[in-house]
Amino acid sequence: MSEPAILAEGLHKQYGDTVAVDDISLRVERGETLGILGMNGAGKTTTVELIAGLRAPDRGSVRVLGLDPRRDRGAVRQVLGVQLQHAYLHGALTVVELLELYRSFYPDPRSTEELLELVELTGQRKTRFEKLSGGQQQRLSIALALAGRPQAVILDELTTGLDPRARRRMWAAVESLREETVILVSHAMEEVERLCDRVALIDAGRILASGTPAELVAQSGAPNLDEAFVALTGKELEIEEESA
Amino acid sequence: MSTAVAHRPGLHSWLTLIRCEAKMVVRDTAGLVVPIGLPLLILVMNASAAGDEEITAGRTALDLYILPLVFTIVTATIGIINMPSFLAYYRRSGILRRLAVTPASPAMVLIAQVVVSLIQAILGIALAFAVAVLAFGAHLPVDLGPAVGIVALSIAAMYALGMVVAALAPTPNSAVAIGLVGFFGLGALGGLFGGRDSLPGPLATLGEWLPFGASVEALSNAWAGQPVEAVHLLSLAVSAVLGAGIAAMFFRWD
Repeated sequence: MSEPAILAEGLHKQYGDTVAVDDISLRVERGETLGILGMNGAGKTTTVELIAGLRAPDRGSVRVLGLDPRRDRGAVRQVLGVQLQHAYLHGALTVVELLELYRSFYPDPRSTEELLELVELTGQRKTRFEKLSGGQQQRLSIALALAGRPQAVILDELTTGLDPRARRRMWAAVESLREETVILVSHAMEEVERLCDRVALIDAGRILASGTPAELVAQSGAPNLDEAFVALTGKELEIEEESA
Repeated sequence: MSTAVAHRPGLHSWLTLIRCEAKMVVRDTAGLVVPIGLPLLILVMNASAAGDEEITAGRTALDLYILPLVFTIVTATIGIINMPSFLAYYRRSGILRRLAVTPASPAMVLIAQVVVSLIQAILGIALAFAVAVLAFGAHLPVDLGPAVGIVALSIAAMYALGMVVAALAPTPNSAVAIGLVGFFGLGALGGLFGGRDSLPGPLATLGEWLPFGASVEALSNAWAGQPVEAVHLLSLAVSAVLGAGIAAMFFRWD
């Protein structure tokens, strides 16, 4: 049996009395795009922070391409690209300066031009980060996550707060990642349906259901993924709300 | 199987990061006013009155009292005010968190930041000294080597204090506030607003033991060619070591 790209087993994380992640196990095969879908506060971000090694789990284990993200930190950083929710960059630096900086961290980075084209920022190359629109900042953030030719990528709330046109551009950028393993955190149903091979539905720190979008729809007996989410969680998914 | 090998960012990456941090500082023009502008202002306001009056060894009041104070203001503003506020901004905005998921360690950012602010300190001191020499006839210290050493020790002590502020402040805004209060507190006791002689006895002594006053006194002695008192060197060294220790113990990246 081939080793999966990302394997999380029995993850558990508690902050004070609040259980953020309660026994979550995930398996993502190489080249696969897994969507993690859930409402705000469901534990999605904590789950990917545990996988990225930003936080230590109270229980459970994580392997990213066969490595432990906390013990083998240096090696994991080379093969895993991460786009964080709400991360800001050096505001006074231009798009090209930031790309050059993040490229310099890796031994064999993608070229600056390739990254600019991938996220369609060629026209903004000399623009400072703080002067970019929200969508442009998000796209730059994706480009930085891909700068080191990662084998696996975590994208947290890729399109939250973007207008429809910017959202479609982001989707196109993610669709161009054919060889990479992707974990996509989202609460946008349309996005998950379009981009993900499989979906894990998370609520209150637990996985309620997982499978292909079609399987989830079939399992719930609902006509579409939106309705399936409501049927499986008993909750209405908030649409395009800016998360705190 | 993964073929990943831990690869650490090399010299090229360090230089790129230092260049980026330098651009951040240069483009934040307001941030340069305090470390470069304030000492120059104090110099110019006091220099003409103090320039002609010889005190000892051919050195004037400008050399013995004003320049040590001006140099200390440069090191203290950069160490105690600028350093923690930059770190607070990086922490609040998530820049450090973002870097934590790249092969660059946040420590790299910190060191690049120190290098850039060292360059600022050296520029600030060089500029103030050049103006003092060219416009007001200031002289080099009698003991040049020790004076340079004291400036270095003063920089180390002020950075260490700044790191303590950055490490212990509960919120980013409080880091800036604590830095300002710390700077003016140490400064007031150390002769920032006129000689320590006008302070009550115990406060004057305390001010001399604290790093701001110690830096001014030690530099003044070196300028006059007099032996530097052990208590002043000790104050700076203890601040540097203790501060670095406390900061290392309590520091957090996000």
